[in-house]
Amino acid sequence: MVSSRQLTNIVSHAYIWICLVVFVLPFLALLSYSITGSSTAAGSTYALKNFQNALGTFSDNLVWSLKISGLTLVVNTLVSLPAGYAIVRHQFPGKRILFSVLTLPLYVPAAVIGISLVLTYNFTYHLTNSMWGLVFAMALGTFPLMLIPIVVALKDLPIVFEEAAECLGATRWQTYRRIVLPLIGPGLSAGLLLTFIIVFNEYLVTLFVHPPGLTTAPLQVFNLIRTAGLAPTTAALAVTMQIVSFTAVVLFLRFFGNRHLKGTYLL
Amino acid sequence: MSTVRLASITKHYGATVAVHEFDLDVADGEFVTLLGPSGCGKTTTLRMVAGLVEPTGGRVWFDDQDVTFLPPRARNIGFVFQTPALFPHLSVADNVGFGLSVKGSKKPAIATRVEEMLAMVGLTGYGGRLPAQLSGGQQQRVALARVLATDPRVLLFDEPLSALDKNLRDTLKFSIRELQRRTAKTAIYVTHDQSEAFAISDRIVVMNAGRVEQIGSQTDIYLRPRTGFVAEFIGANNALPGTVSAVEPAAAPATAPATAGEPATADELREHRFTIESGGLTLRCRSRLPVAIGDQVVAYLRPEDLEVVDEGDGAQYRNVVEGDIERVIFEGPTAQLRVRVDGRELRVDVGGDRRLIVGEGRGRVRLGFNDLTVIPADSAAGEPVVEEA
Repeated sequence: MVSSRQLTNIVSHAYIWICLVVFVLPFLALLSYSITGSSTAAGSTYALKNFQNALGTFSDNLVWSLKISGLTLVVNTLVSLPAGYAIVRHQFPGKRILFSVLTLPLYVPAAVIGISLVLTYNFTYHLTNSMWGLVFAMALGTFPLMLIPIVVALKDLPIVFEEAAECLGATRWQTYRRIVLPLIGPGLSAGLLLTFIIVFNEYLVTLFVHPPGLTTAPLQVFNLIRTAGLAPTTAALAVTMQIVSFTAVVLFLRFFGNRHLKGTYLL
Repeated sequence: MSTVRLASITKHYGATVAVHEFDLDVADGEFVTLLGPSGCGKTTTLRMVAGLVEPTGGRVWFDDQDVTFLPPRARNIGFVFQTPALFPHLSVADNVGFGLSVKGSKKPAIATRVEEMLAMVGLTGYGGRLPAQLSGGQQQRVALARVLATDPRVLLFDEPLSALDKNLRDTLKFSIRELQRRTAKTAIYVTHDQSEAFAISDRIVVMNAGRVEQIGSQTDIYLRPRTGFVAEFIGANNALPGTVSAVEPAAAPATAPATAGEPATADELREHRFTIESGGLTLRCRSRLPVAIGDQVVAYLRPEDLEVVDEGDGAQYRNVVEGDIERVIFEGPTAQLRVRVDGRELRVDVGGDRRLIVGEGRGRVRLGFNDLTVIPADSAAGEPVVEEA
């Protein structure tokens, strides 16, 4: 006979496996499709060919995606670190309202952001033909994703570390660079990771503000599906994007996650 | 290394007064403790000395340098916090060397100094560890080494032992005193723990509600409290409010007859003799301050100054009262009696063999005592307590 405890065990395991299959299945389907031959070609080594195609023909798109993501990370860091520090460590009127306004892009639909930016770029900054226009669009949409983890990390960081550093003779900059920054590393890295994943895969905002000739990987995937239908080469490009995102997660956890968490008060 | 002078230092937080016109002179190499209940402004005062809080009035001097508005980094101080506050991502050696490193010292010089400091606090060989790998006591030792490494002018301690357990507190407080003596640093120490303050200080500043109540040695504040707050905050005391009913003509201090068991130093200062009526009790007192008939006063009586007197005995005491034992609490070295005298409960501490037998009889008991500390009633009440940052 099966006891009720064993039964619970079996049911919970089954539940976990079903969830896994449901969530992973689309990706597995995409992966298997990306290594099948297309109907127009003949031969046996199509699998690699699709990926060679992805890295060859579409390498421009992947490079653009990486470039835009990297620059957005830099802009976000430069904006969010000082902003987060000011919000947590300084008292000023309207602080809560300011913080709410700063996190607004999280709740605004991407299409709305896109239209606003097209308007703004056309009539004021004239950034419609610049890569920076796209970078700033990405930063605008994603910097709350960095700001919020930084604010949380700073709130959790007792101010006594900064006071101790200052009493030992450290300047504000030395305190910031040698004490605060390493100690909020986990929060910062979480923000970097989220920003990277979202910007690297962003489609809708890119569609609105990308300059002519600059086609990122997600945009290219959509263009191809619209014009050529779902081809295995497109699937290969999509899988490549998937792999880049996944690698980013693994690398961030490995470098930031471990190095900065170990030995701190957080663990 | 440096004298410290606080001149009318004041801190207001809006309408709240945290510290009110605080004056203090600390001599070179002196160990001064700020003692008071939580919220009395002692930490705020210390943080103003450090530069972590900017005063709203008054001046802070180190030697003849006005440091009132200098940031902490320009003051060359050593501040030991309530928590060790070691930088968790840096090794013990990097923590100790931090102060020298930010001032641009060369690496070999830092390494030598770090070794020297770790040896001084008894943690040689711990340099490579992370703070999280040390016990609480070890961490606070590292914090000490870290502030001493920069050779500060003044050492400031903000209840550095309050987060540690009792045994560790007892050993570490003497380590702190020993290190301060050996390095001949001027030190200001904040605590709410009387035994800590009594054990390590040259002088004690008793604070209440942002003001100084009394500055003096351990014996000053224990035996000769100047205000009712000091009398009640330091140690245990029985308070007997009353009215002066008779005043004897002043006797010359030298001719005052010494009574048994009374410290001569206290005797010299108590040339004024008078009687007070407290409820149904008539108490014969002596005081260092002159009083007049009709003055409202509070007489304080230490539990250890009350003696249990046998029937027919007690001629050597200026005052003898009778009461009923309500409770006996055996505390080890002493037994604490709660005796109801004239409708009020007096605490009496009994030592020696008597503490073992006193509980058996219960019932009625005779208590003898000599001098009471008499303080005018208007200075017996404290100001309302203000918040501490």
